[in-house]
Amino acid sequence: MSHSERRLVILGVAASDSHAVANHLIAHALRGLGFEVENLGTCTPVEEFAQACEQHPEAEAVIIGSLNGHVHEDLRDLPAAREAGRITCPVIVGGNLSVGSRKDPRDLERLHDLGVDLILEDPAQLLPALDELRSDRTADRQRLPVAS
Amino acid sequence: MTKISYLPGHSGSPGADTLPPLAESVDYIGSLGKPTAARVLMDARDAGRVAIQPRCGVGGHEEMKALLRELEDQAQPDILTLTIDSHTRLKRFEQALRSLNRAPADLNGYPLVSHGYLRGRDINESVTAPLEIRHGSPDARILFDVAVASGITSFEGGGISYNLPYSKAVPLAESLAAWHDVDTVCGELAGLGLIIDRELFGTLTAVLVPPSISLAISVLEAVLAARAGVRCISVSYPQSGHLVQDVAALRAIPVLARTYLPPGVDVHAVLHEFMGVFPKKRGNAEDLIFYGALVARLGGASKLITKTYQEAFGIPDTRANVDGLRLADRANSPLLDFVKADEERVADELAWIVDEVADIVEPVLAAPDTMTAIADAFAAGRLDIPFSASRYAKSEIIPKRDAEGAIRYLSTGSLPFGDRTRRHNSDLLKGAGSTGPVIGSLLTGLTDDINYFPTLFREMKREDSE
Repeated sequence: MSHSERRLVILGVAASDSHAVANHLIAHALRGLGFEVENLGTCTPVEEFAQACEQHPEAEAVIIGSLNGHVHEDLRDLPAAREAGRITCPVIVGGNLSVGSRKDPRDLERLHDLGVDLILEDPAQLLPALDELRSDRTADRQRLPVAS
Repeated sequence: MTKISYLPGHSGSPGADTLPPLAESVDYIGSLGKPTAARVLMDARDAGRVAIQPRCGVGGHEEMKALLRELEDQAQPDILTLTIDSHTRLKRFEQALRSLNRAPADLNGYPLVSHGYLRGRDINESVTAPLEIRHGSPDARILFDVAVASGITSFEGGGISYNLPYSKAVPLAESLAAWHDVDTVCGELAGLGLIIDRELFGTLTAVLVPPSISLAISVLEAVLAARAGVRCISVSYPQSGHLVQDVAALRAIPVLARTYLPPGVDVHAVLHEFMGVFPKKRGNAEDLIFYGALVARLGGASKLITKTYQEAFGIPDTRANVDGLRLADRANSPLLDFVKADEERVADELAWIVDEVADIVEPVLAAPDTMTAIADAFAAGRLDIPFSASRYAKSEIIPKRDAEGAIRYLSTGSLPFGDRTRRHNSDLLKGAGSTGPVIGSLLTGLTDDINYFPTLFREMKREDSE
């Protein structure tokens, strides 16, 4: 990390999913890169992600893993949480996102419609994605005074 | 079969007073004309053979009886299993009862509490082998009471090992207290002349568990059990797949028992045949089953819990279960005396395992209140397990296979290891392709470690070779 600035992310596995291995490995890797990781672990409903966001308003992203193909169903409460302003930071989803080995682009669209900002196919994309989201946000902040 | 509308069980639940007093159950077990599980284990050890036991459990009563009878007719396992359904494991007895009445085949095990102890006795009387209850309950007190009333003489679980791999949010203080109650009743039963075998679940999350973690957790649970009065303890260990490491881990169990447990407690080593991702092809799966059985023999295990060639596909049918038992028992053959492990390497590995366990458990055992010390140590990461389902373990430990396939620590987290242990582990992992905490390579490396056997049998390609 280029700055000594504190970076915190909220991590968890979707509500119906008990796959713990990738979750713990990603938490370990992010901590190794200097992140603080609020890891909510397996079987985490949207409500728990929302509570964690309220506790950690400084979180730069919510990262949701799903390997069992049920992530659409698991995130059905996300639009309400977004609308109520309980999850305001970017939401990243990654893993194996639908049942079956052939992936339909419409599945990704449905996830974006639920309020997911970024869908990752490969965990190696996570760090660049977080860096990009942060620089976007920094740029937004720098633009703000001009706009107001 | 008539529907059940009552719930036999503990105080507070309907029909609480239907369970007989302990002394009556002890007399009943004496009248059964079969050995206890503790006796079977002792006899197997004395005879120098490994007792064989399947996993098995279905929802319906007649179906369960038929399953056990067929396994016994076809394969004569030394101990039989009642695997309990997930509703009952979580004390959702009403849901288990509803499923039982509506669609018993939907249950992933036998809901013993809902069936009641009279049906438990009916099952017990229909087979000659003693029974063990296998489940995954953080609080198994009601299930245990019904099991004892059913005349069942072996009961798996522990306050750590049946919490962290199975439950997300049960505090350790709660599960440890619940299992203390179970162990205390075992002590009362010992006073009445009945020894219950209490098997600890050292397999934990079943994914790349370093031997010293498995054994350290079992030592702590065994110390608590022995203090509560348990007299027969089975310490189960999950096959890692590396011969020297597995034989050393099994042989470490009696060494650790002599160090940490009072005399008069009978301790058995139990091997769980490989619990991770199994090869799909029948021949490959059977190679792995037989290999596991040889490891149990070389490690001096009293008992082996078997797998089947259908493991990669889900819960096996009866035929596959029978074949798995028969194949495992072949490793008991007197013809196989020529099969030896490298004794020098086993002794070296054993010494390291015992040292690592000492580093982990001794600070906890030095504290005045062991149960509180266990919960505190997990909160601080001084006790830890990899890939915990529970938020009450930090899972800062990251395991990794070394170049030979033995399971080492890539990260020791906050475990209180000395420099010597840390150096030993990192030396062993040199050349194992672990290149620091880069998310992608960490995940592909660990995925390969998890798929160790399918890749070894070339059913699957290594991810990091792409």
